[in-house]
Amino acid sequence: MIIPRAVRRIKEKYDHKSGPYAHLFETYDGDEVVSLDCETTSLDVKQGEIVSIGAVKIKGRKVLTSDRLDIKLKPPKSLTGDSIKIHKIRESDLAEGIDIEDALEQVLEFVGNRPILGYYVNYDVRMLDKFIRPQFGFGLPNKAIELSHVYHDIIKWKAVGGNVDLRFDTISKQLDIPMLERHTAIGDALTVALMYVRLKYGDPPEAHY
Amino acid sequence: MPDSFKMTNLPFSLLDENEQRLLRSSLDIGYYQKGEVIMAAGEEPEGVFVILKGRVGESDVREDGEAAPEHVFVHYTNEDYFGGWSAIRGKAIHNFIAEEETICHILPTKTLLDLMSTNGLFADYFQQNLSAKTEIVEQHSKDQDMAEFMLAKVSDGLVRDPLVIPEGTSIRDATLLMREKKADCILVKRGNRHGMVTGTDLLDAVIVNELSMETDLAEIASYRLITVQPDDYLFNALIIMTQQHIERVVVMKDGAMGGIVELTDVLSYFSSHSHVIGLRIERAQTIEDLKEAEKGLDDLIKALVSNGVKTRFVMDLLAAMNGRIIAKLFNIMIPADMQPHVCLLVMGSEGRGEQIMKTDQDNAIIHRDGLVWPEMQETLNRFSETLIEFGFPPCPGNIMVSNPEWVKSLGGWTQMLGDWADRCDGDSQMNLAIAVDAKPVAGNPAIFKASRNWFMRHLRNNDVFFSHFAKSSLEFDTPLTFFGNLKDKGQLDIKKGGIFPIVHGIRTIALEYRVKPTNTFERIEALVELGQLKEKHGKEITEALSLFISLRLRQQIKRIECSDTGHDQTPNLIELQSLDKLERDLLRDALHIVKGFKKHLELRYHLGG
Repeated sequence: MIIPRAVRRIKEKYDHKSGPYAHLFETYDGDEVVSLDCETTSLDVKQGEIVSIGAVKIKGRKVLTSDRLDIKLKPPKSLTGDSIKIHKIRESDLAEGIDIEDALEQVLEFVGNRPILGYYVNYDVRMLDKFIRPQFGFGLPNKAIELSHVYHDIIKWKAVGGNVDLRFDTISKQLDIPMLERHTAIGDALTVALMYVRLKYGDPPEAHY
Repeated sequence: MPDSFKMTNLPFSLLDENEQRLLRSSLDIGYYQKGEVIMAAGEEPEGVFVILKGRVGESDVREDGEAAPEHVFVHYTNEDYFGGWSAIRGKAIHNFIAEEETICHILPTKTLLDLMSTNGLFADYFQQNLSAKTEIVEQHSKDQDMAEFMLAKVSDGLVRDPLVIPEGTSIRDATLLMREKKADCILVKRGNRHGMVTGTDLLDAVIVNELSMETDLAEIASYRLITVQPDDYLFNALIIMTQQHIERVVVMKDGAMGGIVELTDVLSYFSSHSHVIGLRIERAQTIEDLKEAEKGLDDLIKALVSNGVKTRFVMDLLAAMNGRIIAKLFNIMIPADMQPHVCLLVMGSEGRGEQIMKTDQDNAIIHRDGLVWPEMQETLNRFSETLIEFGFPPCPGNIMVSNPEWVKSLGGWTQMLGDWADRCDGDSQMNLAIAVDAKPVAGNPAIFKASRNWFMRHLRNNDVFFSHFAKSSLEFDTPLTFFGNLKDKGQLDIKKGGIFPIVHGIRTIALEYRVKPTNTFERIEALVELGQLKEKHGKEITEALSLFISLRLRQQIKRIECSDTGHDQTPNLIELQSLDKLERDLLRDALHIVKGFKKHLELRYHLGG
């Protein structure tokens, strides 16, 4: 039976209210957001494993690249041809990777109860949940901000009728944001962070459709 | 951020690996909208901003605190940094406003100060650059030249001494005098008044009014002179001349004649200061005048280079200027009756017209066979010393006219060249290389031409000589690795690695085909025309040589500015870490061209093995 996330979160909050992770379930009232991205071995959550995690904090209109997370994990078994072609991470690149358990602790520590921002963020959250749940007994309770939704909400007033192109490259081009190290976790997290700040504080981009 | 932040740009390239890591880990990224104030004057700045994308203007604050039209000093665009001075002082000195959407890296002040305390060079660069910059800002940057012109006074060296004749001089005599003095206007003194006669007035008098040649000049002069004071602004003089449609005004000082200012001089003062230096050199009557005129030259060169004028043009200009200074000095110091019998040569880089900063004086004298002039050597010694006073350093190899070895009769000179050509030792070859770049700058050039033509005939078909002569261009290895990358991490001697092989190789081929110009670029052009070099090949070599020279010059200027003595101890050194990636790539490509050219020389002169 599929329990809705919201319901599950209430239950988990109750379960952990006196545990070491209670603060994660508190409502966030600061002005920071964490932009997060995972590189994985598959786009299917069930099969995929995490290769690297990148995250960077955004405070107001500043992207705090000095306060960031850039984790490489030990090479998972499913690291094979297809995904290597996309993120160009080979087994040898992960020789100094750390265990997923340590990595997740760092992620929870870094993210806290801040909202998580990402491009197709649900995928990253579910991917992390898949590993967090067995280890900690809960899923990420954080509010998720989907970049493409933020983009869509702003752009839809300008796009006449048709669908809005939500591809990563298109958004980046529309917003005139340089793509930094595409297909590394930290690079994508950073690009998304910049796009978010741009959307949030800049003028809506000119429409050229 | 690792990749988006370019560490290869100065001053960040000065940091070592650990420092760069520290820098990277403390960078933030800020996003600013168009028109947003990134840093307001008086505020405490967050740190140094390095623009990733966008455009920022630095502007003054109006005293009444209003944001109305401000004076923007500097624009910063991609990869520029700003706010360093403010960060160091802990207080922003100007407003920094995003002129378009801008993304900046922010280097926190604390990290900046840490880096400055651990890395002296980095600190120096930062501080020096900034102090220079604030100075410029204070002088209101690019309007400076204009201001200099606007504020120039009439007395600032543009006043010519007029030609004055007494009343009663005939039109014929006056015309002859003007012709002799190369003047196009003359003043007639009548009682205590002065009247002016120009070339046009003379024509009108004789042709239109049909006056006789013997008419008194005082009859046709105009006595309503337009005058200016010596402490008037030059700009006013220009306005007067434009309003009155005249080409010269008379300078009067306390009712006495002070001189004449010509329109062409004022205009050329405006158009280029080089012209003024040229004029001053031309007009110098004494050694002191000349020295005064020469002083402006270094500043002029620096200004031209920093304004991005092509190095080759700067070299041409400087060669012309230096040539004129030396020639003028020669005219002042050598007795007029001896001048037709001697010829002063400049040699080496000066002869080729390829020096930029002052290099050693390499000069020589050829005189007519059988010339009797007992004081010659004594005069020449004084000549050399005066040149040293002018800032031309003495030649370490003592190749100057104060050395009797380099003062020869025509016969002696040709004999000497012939001997050197027959011998194969290093000294002879080096002397010869210097001597074949000789260019006459003063005295009687026919003497030099005779010697050059003799020598070129002498070498005709002497294959052994050319083969030997060419060899020294292969003496130094091209500083490239086996895989074709730049060899040295730190620095390289650009003269040995790049300039000398090209210059000497071209010199050899030019000599073989009796090409008369001495400038390497001109030699290349001539050889291409003769079909001895392929056009593409010639173009490549030209480009490579230009690159070497301009890189060298930029580093020389930097070193001279940094040193206390104003001298550069290592003029041929290129520090690779201060080049950006593009320049390094260009340098590498240029060195590959040198390598190819050496190969070509090897085949041409059978130097293999």
